[in-house]
Amino acid sequence: MPVFKTPFNGYSVKFSPFHESRLAVATAQNFGILGNGRLHVLSLPPAPASPLTELISFDTADGVYDLAWSESHDSLLIAGVADGSVKLYDTALPPAQNPLRSLQEHTREVHSVDYNPTRRDSFITASWDDTIKLWTLDRPASIRTFKEHAYCVYSAAWNPRHTDVFASASGDCTVRIWDVREPGSTMIIPGHDFEILCCDWNKYDDCIIATASVDKSIRVWDVRSFRAPISVLNGHGYAVRKVKFSPHHRNLMVSCSYDMSVCMWDFMVEDALVGRYDHHTEFAVGVDMSVLVDGLMASTGWDELVYVWQHGTDPRAP
Amino acid sequence: MEKAVNRQRVLLDHLRPSSSSHNFESTLSASACLAGDSAAYQRTSAYGDDVVIVAAFRTPLCKSKRGGFKDTLADDLLAPVLKALIEKTNVDPREVGDIVVGSVLAPGSQRASECRMAAFYAGFPETVPVRTVNRQCSSGLQAVADVAASIKAGFYEIGIGAGLESMTSNPMSWDGEVNPKAKNFKKAQDCLLPMGVTSENVAHRFGVTRLEQDQAAVDSHRKAAAATASGRFKDEIIPVATKIVDPKTGDEKPIVVSVDDGIRPNSSVADLGKLKPVFKKDGTTTAGNSSQVSDGAGAVLLMKRSVAMRKGLPILGVFRTFAAVGVDPDIMGVGPAVAIPAAVKAAGLELEDIDLFEINEAFASQFVYCRNKLDLDPQKINVNGGAMAIGHPLGATGARCVATLLHEMKRRGRDCRFGVVSMCIGTGMGAAAVFERGDGCDELCNGRKVESNNLLSKDSR
Repeated sequence: MPVFKTPFNGYSVKFSPFHESRLAVATAQNFGILGNGRLHVLSLPPAPASPLTELISFDTADGVYDLAWSESHDSLLIAGVADGSVKLYDTALPPAQNPLRSLQEHTREVHSVDYNPTRRDSFITASWDDTIKLWTLDRPASIRTFKEHAYCVYSAAWNPRHTDVFASASGDCTVRIWDVREPGSTMIIPGHDFEILCCDWNKYDDCIIATASVDKSIRVWDVRSFRAPISVLNGHGYAVRKVKFSPHHRNLMVSCSYDMSVCMWDFMVEDALVGRYDHHTEFAVGVDMSVLVDGLMASTGWDELVYVWQHGTDPRAP
Repeated sequence: MEKAVNRQRVLLDHLRPSSSSHNFESTLSASACLAGDSAAYQRTSAYGDDVVIVAAFRTPLCKSKRGGFKDTLADDLLAPVLKALIEKTNVDPREVGDIVVGSVLAPGSQRASECRMAAFYAGFPETVPVRTVNRQCSSGLQAVADVAASIKAGFYEIGIGAGLESMTSNPMSWDGEVNPKAKNFKKAQDCLLPMGVTSENVAHRFGVTRLEQDQAAVDSHRKAAAATASGRFKDEIIPVATKIVDPKTGDEKPIVVSVDDGIRPNSSVADLGKLKPVFKKDGTTTAGNSSQVSDGAGAVLLMKRSVAMRKGLPILGVFRTFAAVGVDPDIMGVGPAVAIPAAVKAAGLELEDIDLFEINEAFASQFVYCRNKLDLDPQKINVNGGAMAIGHPLGATGARCVATLLHEMKRRGRDCRFGVVSMCIGTGMGAAAVFERGDGCDELCNGRKVESNNLLSKDSR
């Protein structure tokens, strides 16, 4: 299956919601500690044996930690940069005319970007400055800042059905549920005893949320009764960096971890671990599943490689 | 370069779960109470196994030895409130799993017997057990908390927490000799201090002036008088039919006591200022700015929410959390300043989320100190007066405060979601409990003043 070698260390990978053969990768030099960043837009080859080709790439002055495709325009990309800026790119324009916009409000590293999938006009960014910010494409400044977390916010994700609701995961060991119409967070879930690095909503049940933590576990919660998790998924050997629900199957989710593996889980069955992929040789920090092609997955890691493969096949197979 | 070091640190922390330096887990815990102003999700906090209060009543409180209950036996105070719980809710008394009565001054076994007898007077069958509990001034609240905990634990589904004190029949006293060993233990020795001396200690140590104390007492009388005049206590007070003996003629005549008799609507700072300190020559604690010595009883009917729903009973309030803490015995009055934050934190709330407080006014000195220490809005505390006006029958006070708090929360409607009952405890302790308003309340009535119409989020402050 196709592989792409990035010059810098991978941080995040996302499939385009408009083109089934397109994906974007966020990378950062020197493991994101110091140096530049680069955003690659890649295209899948027509034949599975050939490598991924690069359509365009954009350089940044600091590492790119995350990206999000616009849900309203097929060429728009938003990047969360380690210098605290949020940059808007149009892949239809040459690199010289990009970025279209650079929004400098966060005071520390931006670690996550999520585009609103239902309203399609706004996006949220989560930052190590302990805040989450809400933005729209047409405004030069953020609409709102959500500041309640007591430590780095690593991830924020919109609810797939309720257009005003999102969740945020933080190093203060809590997940908070927010409604942008409400003045404060509507729910605080003290989900793990250690930092929570990622959260994601189930695409089929708008009350179910998964959290990934430094305690090596993934927990699945029903926000209506969050005193105990629905399910605890153990199997990773180090902190779980990202978790993402499948867009095609209610009970499936994929995760990647500092233990260098990418895992597929079914949280409703007892033997929850459905598949484990050990293709990365460094921390696996980015993973995604295609909305347009059932079972198509992509991952990236600090080994500077981007893999795209079909679930159930070997990512390294030629 | 500092940036790179910080990034390295954040990422390294992800790999070292055991040495994770942030200790956030102690500041947050799972709780059924949701974050402050989260109206959108409020409904989700109603669980079938919540412990709810469906009725809370009290007798009037009367001055001991001189008031309306001077010739009333203790069990005759408790029986009417127990009976009222059953009559007003139509709960089958056989379904009650336990009756727990807080009582302080009376001899333990005798009081336990009296309470068992009072249950029979009130019409409870022999199958319903009774016990007493004594945590000094918080006994009534402790009884309610014990019942709530037992319901949570699944021992039974319906229980009564009550409080009873007749300071006429059982004045404060010490039987027998004091262990001479106490001299070698300062804290133990301090447990023997008269309460008034601890009040002087609080006033002296934290600089609470005589004027502040007298002003607090006047406020208490004013608020209690206003509440009585406007009939606000009508919902919670159960009139007691009893007898009274005329001290001069010895004639006995039947009376019905239906109002608190210790309230002095006309008290003024000028009048109180003339009173002499009782416990210390140059002190500040007087009879006027201390709680009154009283007789009275209160009772609270608790059950699982699912049971209350099945019976179709209106839910007056939800019992959320309880905390008892220890403090220095020689300034025992500071108890609420420690207990309230503990209980509020356990509920997953912040002090500013609390809309109403009932803080027992054992002494004006400690009451004023706790109010200032926690920086509470005086408009939210003891809105219908406190123990300095109404009285402080030790064991009954907790149950009395629960009744007063919940009825006031019901009146205030949806603006008043969380309430706290707290008191200091002799020998250096404090207790507090958090209640949430039940669903069976009046519509929005803006009982709380809105400071500014701030539609922005909390972080914009």
